[in-house]
Amino acid sequence: MSGELTRPTPADAETTPPSDGKSAEGAPVERFVFTPPIDIYETDEGLILHADLPGVTLDTLELQVQNNRLTLFGRVPDVVPEGARLVHQEYREGDYLRSFILSDNVDHDRITAKLTSGVLEVFLPHAQKAEPRKIQVSGS
Amino acid sequence: MRVFRLGHNWSDAFSDLEREVDRLLRGVNLSIQGLRFGRQYPPVNLYELDDEYLLTAELPGVRVDDLDLTIAGGMLTIRGSRQPDGASDESRFRRQERHCGSWQRSVSIPDRVVEDELRAELNEGILHIHLPKAPDEAPRQIPVSGK
Repeated sequence: MSGELTRPTPADAETTPPSDGKSAEGAPVERFVFTPPIDIYETDEGLILHADLPGVTLDTLELQVQNNRLTLFGRVPDVVPEGARLVHQEYREGDYLRSFILSDNVDHDRITAKLTSGVLEVFLPHAQKAEPRKIQVSGS
Repeated sequence: MRVFRLGHNWSDAFSDLEREVDRLLRGVNLSIQGLRFGRQYPPVNLYELDDEYLLTAELPGVRVDDLDLTIAGGMLTIRGSRQPDGASDESRFRRQERHCGSWQRSVSIPDRVVEDELRAELNEGILHIHLPKAPDEAPRQIPVSGK
């Protein structure tokens, strides 16, 4: 373990009313915000991150890098038909939020991501090593 | 009032405890999925609509080919597996919270469901199983014979 690790930040608040949430009455709807489970592993080219985000679509996923912090926020659109009555519940629906501190070794400009079957894959490529540069020394 | 027997019916007291455990687990930044009391996987929700029941389950990363649904004698069995999509070498993992492998779950489905007309779809890692309700039967007159 070293300071170079891509460190997940502590879990965020368990419930937060979304900023743009609304109900028929116009009152904000409180939604659950979950911390999605993730895998991070190394390859020769960089780090690969997988996150389970069931229900999140391309349109409802936000992936952002700012100040060395990678933040993923996935909103789960309501797919249950209107008028459906919940008669048995074993899991709760909510949105997904998690953020990570990126190491300096990650090339931010080449980060790519894809979303398949509710699983997000983010590729965090290693930064190219800077070529040694000769510095001319001039004498007086 | 129809009574469902899908898994267990947790009491309110229990869901309070469950919430508390969730909160604690989240506090130490652990994944809460699958860590709870040997719960059956996958967890399911059941909804009732006018003409059908809808069973939903979260199955991220499960491909349609790796999912198998069967129904027999009022029991719906969901069987599937998730392929590992990470590194083959465990030592390359820096963090591993997602689970893979195979699982199976059977749920007893409500009466009055047309078993032949079940349909299911798997989108964005969420499984929807539609269980159409059978139409109400008209009362049938039974002739009584006597002397």
